[in-house]
Amino acid sequence: MRTALFLLFAALLPGQALAANQVALANDVFVERVSTDAQGKQRILLEEPKVVVPGDRLVFVLNYRNAGAQPADKFVITNPLPAAVRFADAGDTRPLVSIDGGRDWGQLDQLTVTMADGTRRAAQPDDVTHIRWAFQKPIPAGASGKLMFRGVVK
Amino acid sequence: MMKAPVGGAKHQLLPSCSAIALLAALALPMQAQAAGTRAGSTISNTASASFDTGGGSTTINSNQVDLLVDELLDVTVDSSNPADVPTTPGATGQVLTFSVTNNGNGVENFVLSTIANAGGDNYDPVVTQIYIDNGDGVFDAGTDTLYTPGANDPELDPDESVTVFVVATTPGTVVDGNRGIVSLVATAVTGTGDPGDSFAGMGEGGGDAVVGSTGADGTDAGAFIVSAATVTLVKSAVVTNTLGTADPIPGATITYTIVATVAGSGSVSGLAITDNIPADTSYVAGSITLGGVAQSDAVDADAGDYNGTRINVALGTVAGGQTRTVTFRTTID
Repeated sequence: MRTALFLLFAALLPGQALAANQVALANDVFVERVSTDAQGKQRILLEEPKVVVPGDRLVFVLNYRNAGAQPADKFVITNPLPAAVRFADAGDTRPLVSIDGGRDWGQLDQLTVTMADGTRRAAQPDDVTHIRWAFQKPIPAGASGKLMFRGVVK
Repeated sequence: MMKAPVGGAKHQLLPSCSAIALLAALALPMQAQAAGTRAGSTISNTASASFDTGGGSTTINSNQVDLLVDELLDVTVDSSNPADVPTTPGATGQVLTFSVTNNGNGVENFVLSTIANAGGDNYDPVVTQIYIDNGDGVFDAGTDTLYTPGANDPELDPDESVTVFVVATTPGTVVDGNRGIVSLVATAVTGTGDPGDSFAGMGEGGGDAVVGSTGADGTDAGAFIVSAATVTLVKSAVVTNTLGTADPIPGATITYTIVATVAGSGSVSGLAITDNIPADTSYVAGSITLGGVAQSDAVDADAGDYNGTRINVALGTVAGGQTRTVTFRTTID
């Protein structure tokens, strides 16, 4: 119930604090909680992060909006992952990620980590330091959208 | 309207917090976390967007969201005794060892208590003290700290453990093979409850304190096993005389046999067999045997001696299930 409400709000809210150049990016964080009702059915709720403890799943929501008169080209949104958060997933938004502090980027399943002994292993969500969405088409004037990813409080 | 970026991926965005994603989330096992991010720290998130609206590349930042990490209250207690600890009836200062670990993410004090009457055993050990180890893992009442609830509740950092000794007396009425269980309970001073219960503003760093999966209390059981032994002595006598009969006439020789049988799972220490030489008989010098081996009459390296009025055989420590046979001879005056 609350989930739906929050999602609705998140979807309807325009980007907060529009910048002078009329492109805005708003950042909201929710805590994802699983509750089990009397019938044993599980529900996922997105709550305001009033209480946050290790192990909690956080949902980061980024709302962008081009309120200007010109299309915004080469639109790239970058979110450095807070150090205390372990990347979990980005739903089906398939972002680029970096596992080296933002130097190199790729799909997570294409990145590898060099081990101490010189061998390489596939990168894991744990390794992610930055998340990036690079739009290949301009954002038209007046357009808006939303991106999300999940992380777990370490 | 929602603008889906093209390229690498199809962007169905958040409202697609879809059934598939939710199912995937549900399928994840709930992992036990190590202490994790310290209570009171702040998680800050800011994203940036760069774009070009015709006047060159511009970068803007989003608002910053700051989350205060609250304190998770979690504690576990583990018995450190790999097996039941042997004890004996009436023994004092019997020690069970436990470790108490703060699995939360904030510094926390823990109240310690014991439960000895929960059943499932044969007797209730009488807990006399709880001691907090000085760090060497070995109980020593002289160097470890006597615990007083409310006065020196151990303070543990996240992931820190402390060794706790529970000292008990074994009732004198117990018998061999009896088992007595003592549980150590540790509870967070801030509070306990159901997972998710919270105590507003009571967390380290100013946040809330939230009861974790352990309920903010932990318990584990250790046990004593009574390992006692009993000694049974059976004495018999055989008379021989020069007539070749068994008549106890003057000059006849009496051979005494004393069999000591130790029963039980424990052992007896300092066991000695002493027997006075009966009146009107005389001890036959050098006649003591132990297990068929002759013993000298002097107090010396061997186990037997005769001091003029009685024989004595020192058997030392004898384990349950063993027997010792002593013989000596006298003549009838």
